[in-house]
Amino acid sequence: MKSWQKKIFFLILVLLLAGIAGVWYVFNEKFTDIAETKALYTVNASDLINEFQKDGALANKKYAEKVITVKGTVSEVEKADTIVNIKFSDSATRGFIIFAFQQKNVVDARRLKEGDNISIKGSCSGGAYSEILETYFITFKRCALTK
Amino acid sequence: MKKTILFLSVSLAATTLFAQKLTTTSATIVFDATTSKDALPKAENKTVIAAIDTQTGTIAFEAIMKSFTFSNPTIQEHFNQEKWLNTDLYPTSSFKGKVTNLPNINFQLDGNYPAEVEGELTLHGKTQLVKTTGTIVVEGKKVTASAEFTIKLLDFGVNESAFTSGKVASEPKITVIAELN
Repeated sequence: MKSWQKKIFFLILVLLLAGIAGVWYVFNEKFTDIAETKALYTVNASDLINEFQKDGALANKKYAEKVITVKGTVSEVEKADTIVNIKFSDSATRGFIIFAFQQKNVVDARRLKEGDNISIKGSCSGGAYSEILETYFITFKRCALTK
Repeated sequence: MKKTILFLSVSLAATTLFAQKLTTTSATIVFDATTSKDALPKAENKTVIAAIDTQTGTIAFEAIMKSFTFSNPTIQEHFNQEKWLNTDLYPTSSFKGKVTNLPNINFQLDGNYPAEVEGELTLHGKTQLVKTTGTIVVEGKKVTASAEFTIKLLDFGVNESAFTSGKVASEPKITVIAELN
């Protein structure tokens, strides 16, 4: 092969390998363990509920898809089949935050009891007004207990 | 006096009706848009609000879209993007319907009952009629309602370019399961 042909061949080969590596990377990409992710905000459950009830659109813009740590008192440990969700409620308005745990941390959620004062870190999915329950609710995903 | 009696009767009736409403805030909805080309677009939302009125047969669900959790971060991002389900603009999805064969279901007797459900599904700002069969399992005070159906993303105004590559199903399978009490 002539020198310039060799160069083209190698260039194509490198690009091809880079492309394959890229696709493989995206395909196998997983979320970082939430325990290793830094929270953008640390808030009290009641303050968070109030913020959403005051201006839902603004609160959604601020918190949606961000990793947040919420401090509160467990108002309910809701179990459904293999799922264990933890709730912090506001007794005055019945507004609540509900946390769905990362698979590896569900065992921690299962051990919690009503009245436990804890901190939960997770990805906030934002809040909405529930017509069914006639109150505001905020949901979180990929959660874990934190300090 | 008559007015007081009327008022009290109506209030009591309303309370009784309300007492037939079973709810949960931990219903699960699985959104499965996987294809033979891609096993990744499958998400679960484990914090769905659901309610059933055992007297009237009305059923309702509310889901916050951003709580649909994928295993892959890139797919998670795409799902919420403007040209897909645009969850900034349409943050929730809901279903309002009823069990159309209510007389066949005895909420006072433990058992597995086939259910026929009909209602309106609102997703991506569009509302469409959905008809499906499902199962209602009665176990004492607990009622588990489940159903599986497919939807056409085009019917909900989702841009065709989202699924023409064949990697995302244009008719994803939706699985719903709710333990209500």
